[in-house]
Amino acid sequence: MTKEAHGGESAESIGRSVLRRERTAADVAREFLDRADRSAPRLNTYLHRDREGTLAAAARVDARIASGETLSPLAGVPVALKDNLCTRGIPTTCGSRILEGYRPPYDAHVVERLREAGAVFTGKTNCDEFAMGSSTENSAYFPTKNPWDLERVPGGSSGGSAATVAALEAPLALGSDTGGSVRQPAAFCGVFGLKPTYGAVSRYGLVAFASSLDQIGPFARTARDTALLYNAICGRDPRDMTSRSEALPVPLEDLERGVKGMKLGIPRDLIGEGVNPEILASLEKVAKTLANEGAEILDVTLPHARYSIATYYLIAPAEASSNLARYDGVRYGFRAGEGDLQSMYAATRGKGFGREVRRRILLGTYALSAGYYDAYYLRAMKVRTLVRKDFEDALSRADALLLPTTPTPPFRLGEKVDDPLAMYLNDIFSIPASLAGAPALSFPAGMTRSGLPIGLQLVGRPFDEAKLLRIARTWERRNEDAARVPKLAAEGA
Amino acid sequence: MPIDAKVVHDVAALSRLRVDPSEEGRFVAELTAILSYVEQLQALDVSGIEPTSQVGEGATTPLREDRVTPCDVSEEALGQAPDRDGDYFRVPRVV
Repeated sequence: MTKEAHGGESAESIGRSVLRRERTAADVAREFLDRADRSAPRLNTYLHRDREGTLAAAARVDARIASGETLSPLAGVPVALKDNLCTRGIPTTCGSRILEGYRPPYDAHVVERLREAGAVFTGKTNCDEFAMGSSTENSAYFPTKNPWDLERVPGGSSGGSAATVAALEAPLALGSDTGGSVRQPAAFCGVFGLKPTYGAVSRYGLVAFASSLDQIGPFARTARDTALLYNAICGRDPRDMTSRSEALPVPLEDLERGVKGMKLGIPRDLIGEGVNPEILASLEKVAKTLANEGAEILDVTLPHARYSIATYYLIAPAEASSNLARYDGVRYGFRAGEGDLQSMYAATRGKGFGREVRRRILLGTYALSAGYYDAYYLRAMKVRTLVRKDFEDALSRADALLLPTTPTPPFRLGEKVDDPLAMYLNDIFSIPASLAGAPALSFPAGMTRSGLPIGLQLVGRPFDEAKLLRIARTWERRNEDAARVPKLAAEGA
Repeated sequence: MPIDAKVVHDVAALSRLRVDPSEEGRFVAELTAILSYVEQLQALDVSGIEPTSQVGEGATTPLREDRVTPCDVSEEALGQAPDRDGDYFRVPRVV
């Protein structure tokens, strides 16, 4: 096998070969680091990389294997981490100036689990500041580019994680999804992105944005690899009271069992108008393919889903305004200002947070303030109940729902940066499942005529990630574009 | 209530967030656009609907033993402080 071909190799195959001692974790790490050395500076995928640290971690995995320790299928597999996941002693900035130089004194739960499994971290990926955004342009450091077209955004907020997997710099990555921040960049970059059920993965050590919505989720280039990474992080952790023991690993062989007899609902009332025609055509093609595989396709409705964006942009900023109160220039990170304590707080936060974060803190504080709480925040929480019930009804008739991940293919850098509302409206298909707490998977469905990725989304019942991955796997076997990689990666950058 | 520079100023004070006067106009325009978009929720009848503060709240809260676990990271934690005095975080004068 040539050196270049390894990057396109699945995590499953890499882990297997390392466990069989056909090659070392250090060799695998070196190949991916070399590839990232070539493409990452053009894509701006990473905020922090440490070649020596990564190679030392890989050598430790090799030593564990040599000593006879039984490791997981992720042994020696490179994994990229979004920069809002705490890594002990390794910079964690959340794409914000206010956390510049911060080195957490502990690992996030998912980081601990992956270290135990023998995964090797490639670095911390770029993201919109505090995960607030849909394009990675809100990073305080630099925007990430889409590997399929360097003039377009990779999506966000987990844009660096999606782009690094698409560009074959890492076979796997973790992101976080509050309103679509795993699924939308997965769609824009042509990879798989899973937002697990609310409660499926512990958020201990994930920097909090909107706690009633935040979930950590995997990026991968195949359905089976998505399951592998999900399996390594799911389940109960006493340090996150919302995490649940019902979240069980997905047996990989279940993914091969097809969709015969499954019912797939298409919420045509939500999809409506204004969706890119090539995305709609792709939806019909995938539905037809799955019907040929034995699934039954039916129409379902989500009558309140169109209120989701309005609901989300009250609930998420309200929770964010509270969660971000901890950044005060006292215990860590950036401090600004002279004079008394109150002036120091205001100056630190005014200078340390970027525009989008400040706008959401203002919006959230306003929505929670005396006289407005009932009209805005309380009402939004009630509409959230209506959206949840829509999903319960639709998913009592169907095993899963099929809809686009985004209304358009990836947009151009700078195109929506001055119009926050236009940026928010891009989230219309991802936010509803977030409000419902339902598992949702974005999978590669094909390409536009101009060569941009198209992602479609499956939404399922709570803790039924297995079914979503099985449906996506069934399509993947029929997808003629499944093996395509960006030119930049094929050329080895 | 319409958003104006005074509202932005007051909410910024509540948020402990310094907003430069040159930015107030843009925040007024953006917050006005977002709040007029979310007005659509007022058209829905939500009487008798319970609010969802978090999904999965029906589950029983799992309990654990109240046991001391080691957490010896005080030096790593204090080492992050912008201003430190021994084992204390130092802040500007309060009184």
